[in-house]
Amino acid sequence: MSSGGTRMTMSMAGLFLLMIILFMADMFIGSTHMAAADVFRALFGSGPPGDEIIVMQFRLPRALTAILAGAAMSVSGLLMQTLFRNPLAGPDVMGVSSGAGLGVALTLLTLTPLFTVPAGSILAGWGVILAAWAGAGAVMMIIMAVSARMRDIMTVLIVGMLLASAISAVVSLMQYFSNEAMLRTYVIWTMGNLGNISYPQIRALALASAAGLALALTMVKPLNTILLGETFSRTVGVRMQRTRIILLASASILAGSVTAFCGPLAFIGVAVPHITRLLFGTTDHRILLPATALTGAVILLFSDIISVIPGGGHIIPVNTVTSLIGIPVVLWIILGKTGPGRRF
Amino acid sequence: MSIGNIIAETRSLEIGYTRKKTVSVMKGLSLRARRGELVALIGRNGTGKSTLLRTLVGLQPPLAGEIILDGMALHETGSSRLPRIVSFVSTEPVAVHNIRVRDVVALGRFPYTNWIGTLTDADRMAVTGALEATGMAQLEERSIDSISDGERQRTLIARALAQDTGLLIMDEPTAFLDLPSRYGIVSLLRRLTREQGKCVIYSTHDLDTAINEADRIWLMTGDCVSEGAPEDLILKGSLARAFESPLLSFSVNEGTFSFVRGRQKTIALEGRGKTAKLTARALARCGYTTGSESPLAVKISESGPAAEWILTDGSSEKRYRSLYDLVTDLPDIDQ
Repeated sequence: MSSGGTRMTMSMAGLFLLMIILFMADMFIGSTHMAAADVFRALFGSGPPGDEIIVMQFRLPRALTAILAGAAMSVSGLLMQTLFRNPLAGPDVMGVSSGAGLGVALTLLTLTPLFTVPAGSILAGWGVILAAWAGAGAVMMIIMAVSARMRDIMTVLIVGMLLASAISAVVSLMQYFSNEAMLRTYVIWTMGNLGNISYPQIRALALASAAGLALALTMVKPLNTILLGETFSRTVGVRMQRTRIILLASASILAGSVTAFCGPLAFIGVAVPHITRLLFGTTDHRILLPATALTGAVILLFSDIISVIPGGGHIIPVNTVTSLIGIPVVLWIILGKTGPGRRF
Repeated sequence: MSIGNIIAETRSLEIGYTRKKTVSVMKGLSLRARRGELVALIGRNGTGKSTLLRTLVGLQPPLAGEIILDGMALHETGSSRLPRIVSFVSTEPVAVHNIRVRDVVALGRFPYTNWIGTLTDADRMAVTGALEATGMAQLEERSIDSISDGERQRTLIARALAQDTGLLIMDEPTAFLDLPSRYGIVSLLRRLTREQGKCVIYSTHDLDTAINEADRIWLMTGDCVSEGAPEDLILKGSLARAFESPLLSFSVNEGTFSFVRGRQKTIALEGRGKTAKLTARALARCGYTTGSESPLAVKISESGPAAEWILTDGSSEKRYRSLYDLVTDLPDIDQ
């Protein structure tokens, strides 16, 4: 335990350091070339105004969002995997992101034009967040109900995918009736975007993520017993009903908030917990929870850097990068030698 | 024997389910178990063994009657106190695979640790003690999917032991285990009752070990539960009644069930010792009872290096090198 503990602390510190390095890298690398010294000068407000706008209005919010969204989305996936005891669970694959998306679509495509609230405002921000929470929570409840009846992991997964399809059909229908400007906002949103997020929105995302993570942190002890089964958890005194509600709320807040601002980030939620388990070799949520948050931040920062590297002023959607990282992990879980559902 | 006071008692208990409507599985259960006692719950499939055990540990509410655990009514025992009185090993499989044996056992300390589950020195001692008592100390660093089924069951028993309760309840702890592992588990359970004064109640389909090792048997039949020492139940004939079947007969002397054979023919057997006993056994399987008066006769010759069987039917004589050759050559019983 003690030697293992030291190893865990070292890995965690290493991961934190990596996050800082990648954060800096994300600040230095962008579609416009800028020297490191200029970036620093801009950060401390002593550079030319042009540099300052690029760094303070584009790069810094982008990097901060990557950290927040990566951590929140990954922890949401971890909570879902443990709660549903399904290694393929995640906010995107199980339709939770779609649920949040429905909430967003409802606010972006119908309510916002109805009340003529400007799309980027704080009011619209919190409106979108709340709608996303509600949508994510609703899908989460449906998945919970299904997994209570169906023990089979694949069945639950298929139900999640069907839900996602149904929701996207509804959203398509809504798009048909909305105006062009709103539609463009929505389509850009679906591509997954870490940029174009204002500081008030980042503050909202940070608050929501902190709340979701804090809620999850109070549940690390029951999370560990849930791994050994619900019956066991109940006989050692875990109040399952209450635990389930708190975990669902936490996972919905985390996935919903991120989805509201960054769009449906693909494969981060399902893949990062597995990468973390592999790195740390533990199932103990006291370590897994913070480690998953850190790994998620690192991977999303990395994906963001990759998405601007092609150069020439183009930025490829971050979802393309996260899919390329995440899909092999998911394949590895499904095809792994111990078969689906055995790797945890 | 050092059997202590009563730790579990049911009074006119009725068990069952309440879903859309109430389904009663069994009623009028008045049972007892004492500290230092190994209690085996036996009965045929579907008689409600799991329902009874789940009701006893508070996983489902009783339909009527009362359960008293450690001197307090179950419904009055709070959710923080109950896990310190009774621990439960269910048939639920462990879903995680790369978790260490020691970490599984440590989760048994749940009722005693703080909000984040930090183990104190006392907790670590309890975990080590449980690992040693179950013979899992050497495997504590191994992951749960790299050990055998029997060892996994021992790990779960160690987890229940680490929970430090006077009463341990287990649902079919010997299911799916091979013969030596089954005996190993039952002898472990018995040792826990003797050395640590625990009361262990376990359900099983393994009559042999239950009859030989349990201090008390709760025998579930379709409509009631009888309890007593295994021999009490044999004497009363309840055991034979509980597993009544046209295919089985119960031997009171040996305390075991055996197949009822169909139409039978007599064959004379001449021989001695274990060879004769095993020959009689093989013949019985083919529908032959051994007697002295029969034209058909088997004689065992053990003069050579290996035994030989000589079959005579009055007119001819044949020799066989193995029992398999002998019994496959016997005339069919129905002809």
